Amino acid sequence: MKRLLSPRLGYPAAAILVCVTIGLLRLFPALTDATHALVLLVAVFTIARVWESGPGALAAVLATLGLNFFFLPPIHTFTIEDPRNVVGLLVFLGVALVIGRLSATSRLRLRQVEAERRDLITLTQLSQAFLTDTNRESLLAVAAERLRKAFECSSVRVYLADETGRLTLSASSGEEKEIKQELRDLAYRQGTSATFPSEGRGQDVYLPIRLGVQPIGALVAHGVDVSERMVEGCAALLAVALEREKFVRIARTSEEIRARDEIKSTLLATLAHDLKTPVTGARMAVENLDLRTGGSEESREAREAIERLTRLIDDLLNVVRLESGTAKAARERVSANAILEAAVARFGELLIEHTFQVEMPRADWYVDVDPAQVTEALGLGLENAARYSPNGARVRLTAVSRQGGVVLRVEDSGPGIPAPERERALEKFVRLGGTETPGSGLGLYIARTLVELNGGTVSLGASPLGGTSFEISLPVAA
Amino acid sequence: MSKILVVDDDIAIRKGLRDALIREGHEVVTAADGEEAMEAFLSETFDLVVTDLAMPGKDGFSLLRSIRHKSDVPVLILTVRGEEREKVRLLDAGADDYIVKPFGLAEFLARTRTVLRRRTGVREAGEVIQIGSLAIDLAARRVERGGQEQRLTPTEFTLLKTFLSRPGIVWTHRQLIATVWGSADGATSDALRVQIGSLRRKIEENPDQPRLIRTEPWVGYRFVTGE
Repeated sequence: MKRLLSPRLGYPAAAILVCVTIGLLRLFPALTDATHALVLLVAVFTIARVWESGPGALAAVLATLGLNFFFLPPIHTFTIEDPRNVVGLLVFLGVALVIGRLSATSRLRLRQVEAERRDLITLTQLSQAFLTDTNRESLLAVAAERLRKAFECSSVRVYLADETGRLTLSASSGEEKEIKQELRDLAYRQGTSATFPSEGRGQDVYLPIRLGVQPIGALVAHGVDVSERMVEGCAALLAVALEREKFVRIARTSEEIRARDEIKSTLLATLAHDLKTPVTGARMAVENLDLRTGGSEESREAREAIERLTRLIDDLLNVVRLESGTAKAARERVSANAILEAAVARFGELLIEHTFQVEMPRADWYVDVDPAQVTEALGLGLENAARYSPNGARVRLTAVSRQGGVVLRVEDSGPGIPAPERERALEKFVRLGGTETPGSGLGLYIARTLVELNGGTVSLGASPLGGTSFEISLPVAA
Repeated sequence: MSKILVVDDDIAIRKGLRDALIREGHEVVTAADGEEAMEAFLSETFDLVVTDLAMPGKDGFSLLRSIRHKSDVPVLILTVRGEEREKVRLLDAGADDYIVKPFGLAEFLARTRTVLRRRTGVREAGEVIQIGSLAIDLAARRVERGGQEQRLTPTEFTLLKTFLSRPGIVWTHRQLIATVWGSADGATSDALRVQIGSLRRKIEENPDQPRLIRTEPWVGYRFVTGE
């Protein structure tokens, strides 16, 4: 059937069909000239619809001649008796040509639409196949095969650029064909595509695989039997699918990291709860016992031991949080004076036995930090001052501006720390006073780590009051 | 005497809190998790709920939310997390107060008294409130300290009135800003800090060491009447 409809058969078929129509019409002598003309027009329409323009025009001319020769008097001659019939015949010729042309055009359009529909279906199927695959290896493995089917061609090679920009064969399907490397490199580097007739049928195509304007590789296909637009569309689809796969991979990795962080912080929260709950129970039991019995030296010692244990648990949990990266700084723009005020409100009680001075600066500076974390760090400085200064000794809290930053300072009048020891005092588990001094040796380390998490530094120096000066330096917020 | 629901998954804490509260003359019902607590809560009437935050199954936060759907009974939360963000989250969700584990019984009982007082804390109109040397006549909008009249701005007066409506309770920055300025938009914690500072200068004996308006660092403020 397909061969019968081929354009080469169109002309003889047109001639035969017109002759057959005329023969049939002659079997019915009673028909009028108008009927003859209409039936012949239908024949021209049909021929043009099947074999398009050329055979259609031939049919129109043959039908006109036939109409004149067989049906217009005097019949069996090409002369025309009635001058009105001359006009009629010319009109018939005109109409037959127009009908033939229209019919052929509609047929051509239909064929184009059909081809576009086919391309669209292929592209849709391809995009579905590409986009459901989120694994690079399996995506590439099937991509070449699918492209070869879509292009109805003999071979497809996909080259992708690595980090250094070198093209490597990433996927292939079909016969081994010779690749013109310079055309392939040109497609990738300059984005120029090349199309030329294949040795067999179809076209050989070299074109860039581009994501937007960014080239990411080159596509080579031999014996392509579809439109260039279609090939470009498929290459673009492949690029999008590869890019999507990359993003899915990145998203998956970051999701894994987030989930790991979440597990870590949930574990830490559970650990905190599980450690502190029995301590709370113990403390409560001792206090209830005290209330019932009126208290004793032993219960006082138990309470102090519980307090030390509590502090140690807090310190250790803080260290784990900071070192595991679970502690995050929720930074906001906050005033340095507000930090001083918060530290006094929260830790002022530690210095109830000392002469505690708070010197709020007149000027206020803003810093971009997690206020609670910096307050905590400052509190650890205050606690350190309280611990190492004798009762009644002076401790001063203040803030000054220095070198474009803010320094929150705790000055004490204790024995001080010798200069060579100061750096070491900020390390983990360092207790300068020896093991006799209370504490876990974690406080200043936690303070330093908290401040560093917020983009600042902690240092120890000599205090004008005679003891140590604990300083938190923070950059001023823009 | 009040009826108190104590919720904690740790038996030692349940027992410790129950003994202490019974000694104070309260009636105590205990529950080991959120579901059990909700069951008890729906079948009886309580004056106070004390709940742990981390519990298996329904935790303290969702218990708080379920309770707030049904009632405005005072809720005191026990938490191991001293993090300010967590405290703000609890208070904004309707908790009356929180106490960080491990806590002392004295502190716990003091907080219990404070939240329980909120039910009976409604003041008579026209009554003059006397706190130390401070005399506050809410109806006449008049504040005196040591016999000297203190002129409060309307904002300062609104703040004072808000504090007095629930003494001893922590107010988050957001709650105070919403009360004083109508909405949390535009006004900042800094603006609130300025107003609090100015109010302290008028009502505190020593504004540098405030006794009445206590700062809860990065959470809010608590008005302590010393009762």
